[in-house]
Amino acid sequence: MSADASDLSLVRRVQRGDKGAFDALVLKYQHKLVKLVMRYVRNPAEAEDIAQEAFIKAYRALPQFRGDSAFYTWLYRIAINTAKNAVVSRDRSPIDYDLDRNSSDESYDMQGRMKDSETPEGLVLTDEIRSTVNAAIDALPEDLRTAIVLRELEGLSYEEIAAAMDCPVGTVRSRIFRAREAIDRRLREVFEGGLGRAEELG
Amino acid sequence: MKEELDSQLSAMFDDELPSAECELLARRLARDEQLKARWGRYAVMGAVIRAERGVRLNAPLAGRVSAVLLAEPALVSRSSAPLRVAGMRWWQPLAATGLAASVAAVSVLWLRSQSPLAGSAPLSSQLASAPRALPVAAVVPAAINSGGGSSLNYVLSRGGSTAPLMVPSTELANYVVAHSTFSSPVARRNLLSAFMTSEGGTLGAEEAPQDAQSSAK
Repeated sequence: MSADASDLSLVRRVQRGDKGAFDALVLKYQHKLVKLVMRYVRNPAEAEDIAQEAFIKAYRALPQFRGDSAFYTWLYRIAINTAKNAVVSRDRSPIDYDLDRNSSDESYDMQGRMKDSETPEGLVLTDEIRSTVNAAIDALPEDLRTAIVLRELEGLSYEEIAAAMDCPVGTVRSRIFRAREAIDRRLREVFEGGLGRAEELG
Repeated sequence: MKEELDSQLSAMFDDELPSAECELLARRLARDEQLKARWGRYAVMGAVIRAERGVRLNAPLAGRVSAVLLAEPALVSRSSAPLRVAGMRWWQPLAATGLAASVAAVSVLWLRSQSPLAGSAPLSSQLASAPRALPVAAVVPAAINSGGGSSLNYVLSRGGSTAPLMVPSTELANYVVAHSTFSSPVARRNLLSAFMTSEGGTLGAEEAPQDAQSSAK
């Protein structure tokens, strides 16, 4: 098994014209990309716009991607360049955020989007997701919790986790899967209760 | 079965699934919306565990990107076409050069075999004994002018008499053969054009008098 094999298999599908495979890549990396972009811009809505632009640039550039580097490394580079360009462009043409209602429609739209991203509803939904996941993790048996945290927080491979937990790699794979299943049971309820945008994707 | 599939999805999300299984699962993932939603929730779990603050976990980003890409053309045509074109381009100049050189060589060898210096019978007698299609430019002026007395002058004025025409053509043929390896296709083509033109003039000079004579009779 090779590192980045799953990304590459999705990338190859996109390169053969399967747009659905690109959805999976966006779903996998959207949060990481927004977090990365937020090093350059503080506003979450602006970060999402830049991340969106980076994804679209990546899609258009995918025919040139040969897999010499990991897909996420390549994607991150595009996102960083997009963010830097956005910052430079914004600095060249500063927008008056304290605008009044008589300003141009474009500026007013931006203000509207900024407000929308910071609505209490949006924050509550994110907090609800966060608290649901955290509660589900707390309720996990110790071996499952350790396995999923080592994987997601420390970024260890299954082999490294197996060495750390002194168990076979197959057991690690099973533990991580069962941990995700347990969290997903609770998380699905939250998403299906009004946040099911991922379900609507495509 | 379903559990095995979900287990594979979890391993694939972590880049821990063998490549062959990844290929198969990627195909299904691209089409199965439920599987894709589960995949998206795996990403949300990771974001929470890593405490990615400031990131909206219910962000409609994926949906927005998907909506924009709906208007985009599929990548398959854009990625394969340039490769095919690029693959064709590299050999085209070589093929053209080779073809031009081959045509030049065959033409020159044929013409040399027909020349008085190379064969037993003179070209004029061979042409006279073997009726064949002639170049239009060589025949038509002679036919048009066959009734007048100046027909021979019209044809021969391009090259003079028959004897002087044969010698430069042979020399030219020898020159082309000797330099075909080093000369460019364009230069060879120009030389051959000049060569063929002078030969055409010769043929006209050989044929026209007989036609003129027969029509005069």
